[in-house]
Amino acid sequence: MSEHSATPARRFDPGAILLTILTLIAAFIWFFPIYWGLVTSFRFDDETVTDFSLIPTNPTLKNYIFTIQNSDLPIWYLNSTITSVGVTVLVLLMSACTGYAISQLQFPGRKALWWMILASFMVPVSALIVNHFIIIADVKLLNSHLGIILPMLIAPVTVIIYKQFFDGLPRDFREAAVMDGATEFQLLFRIFLPMNWGITTALAIITFIGAWNSFLWPFLATQDEKMMTVTVGISAVQDAYGVAYGRLLAGAVLAGLPVSLAYLFFQRRVTQAITLTAGIKG
Amino acid sequence: MAQVELSNISKRYGAVEVIRDLGLTIKDGSFCALLGPSGCGKSTMLRMIAGLEAVTGGTIKIGDTDVTHTAPKSRGVAMVFQSYALYPHLTVAENITFSMSLAGAPKAAQRAAAEKVGKLLQLDQLLDRRPAALSGGQRQRVAIGRALVRDPKVFLFDEPLSNLDALLRVQMRLELARLHADLKTTMIYVTHDQVEAMTLADQIVVLDKGKIAQAGSPWELYNQPANRFVAGFIGSPGMNFLAGQGTAKGITLRDGTELALTRSAPGPVELGLRPEHFTIATDGPIRGRASVVEYLGNTSYAYIDTDHGPMVVEADGAGIKAGDQVGLVPDLSKAHLFDASGAAV
Repeated sequence: MSEHSATPARRFDPGAILLTILTLIAAFIWFFPIYWGLVTSFRFDDETVTDFSLIPTNPTLKNYIFTIQNSDLPIWYLNSTITSVGVTVLVLLMSACTGYAISQLQFPGRKALWWMILASFMVPVSALIVNHFIIIADVKLLNSHLGIILPMLIAPVTVIIYKQFFDGLPRDFREAAVMDGATEFQLLFRIFLPMNWGITTALAIITFIGAWNSFLWPFLATQDEKMMTVTVGISAVQDAYGVAYGRLLAGAVLAGLPVSLAYLFFQRRVTQAITLTAGIKG
Repeated sequence: MAQVELSNISKRYGAVEVIRDLGLTIKDGSFCALLGPSGCGKSTMLRMIAGLEAVTGGTIKIGDTDVTHTAPKSRGVAMVFQSYALYPHLTVAENITFSMSLAGAPKAAQRAAAEKVGKLLQLDQLLDRRPAALSGGQRQRVAIGRALVRDPKVFLFDEPLSNLDALLRVQMRLELARLHADLKTTMIYVTHDQVEAMTLADQIVVLDKGKIAQAGSPWELYNQPANRFVAGFIGSPGMNFLAGQGTAKGITLRDGTELALTRSAPGPVELGLRPEHFTIATDGPIRGRASVVEYLGNTSYAYIDTDHGPMVVEADGAGIKAGDQVGLVPDLSKAHLFDASGAAV
């Protein structure tokens, strides 16, 4: 009996090897600045431009301690958490309801509403920012959590994803529940959404990350340091510290920490969300 | 339990009229099958009784109540869907008692109801499983359980066995028959499978293009079809039709063969004969060549190419094989005659 391996022998493929090398180079180019920022945050200020070792010669937490003690970082964290959670909850709630209504209900203006949502892609958020500022200022919501949250609730992508998901569900589920006496809200919250929490979880994570990372609107909406979010606050630190790379990078690391942890723990869901939105965002 | 009465029902989708001026009474405790080819309007009719489709015209009464414009949940009907429509995120027990849960029934009452229904449908060991962990037959039973727990006046079944394999279908058919015998609740059952309709129902309504072609007992439909459509639709293999001219004594077939009948109609007519109403002989008034002989175990059928077109006859014990020239002797006492409009004479 001849000895044959179950798996075919690997052939030498120069193209694949070249591609692997290029990918590794690209990954290195992408990752190295992040790594350098991280290690620099553990260096003393005077070493940031003199110590070029890959691992800090005299690692220190001084920058972190200084940043925490001399800034409103805990408050910024709280503000970011409140606004990001608020945006996430409201965006998902409104998108699920809107997606459900457009997908499942018959009402006058349904198609017009759907086209409006699709058309809203044409308008970049930054083009609306002045309008947002004027409206929020008019209703005296600048420097408030609600003022940060409200303009960030425009999320056509999540509406579209929910609508597509609801469109794909067999009609029998709805009709069986209607026969059992379910109201539209019961249908949405007891049948349609629980049937695939994966979509909601994925959208929640990506919405939260987006809200946490957002800068432009929170930057405009908050002048009071006590109302700033982490991303805005860190930029204020930069202004306050001047060129103090260690402290700046410590602040940046602290600002990005929750999002990094979210990526770390919910990697699969984040990937799912990116896949869900990829075909829509373009 | 309740009688279902449909009066002058019509249903229109834009310019398309799928149900036309339909009237039907389904007696209290009856097992009524709505039978017909795809697109005949049988599912639409069931959905109108359920309240899932609005009627364009006419009235629907369940018991003494006019439910034409009543919400589905308030009609006292429960429906079993073709796809089962079991909620994948809920357990069997939760699926069964979903309607109770919506109505805010106490958890203990829900569990008790689930256990009672589970026992009746042999699901008692599966109550905490999710639908994905069940076989097709078990899922079907859960769907029936969900209808049962509502204690409806009328059960509606929309092709409930069509997703099951042949063996399981027979088994579930028996279970449905037993269930009906136990509950004695009015059941309306949509199917395109005439075997299901014939075996389960005490009343079959054959629909054709949105109209009732005939309503009656399985025996009536098989032995006394009211028209050519029903005669051709009921029975497997189907009835053979021989075209000819009506005479005072019976019919003259296209090849000049005269057959004497007890009934007659002038003009173009069709003679209908079921496959079992022929004797295969070496010669006979109808002659042809066997193209295929199907052996089914308990009997066999021969497909004969004749001058009158292809015919199928029961050939059990005839000992013929494909290629044989045969003569067919019809049992004219069992023959059906249809006039030019297709109505039985």
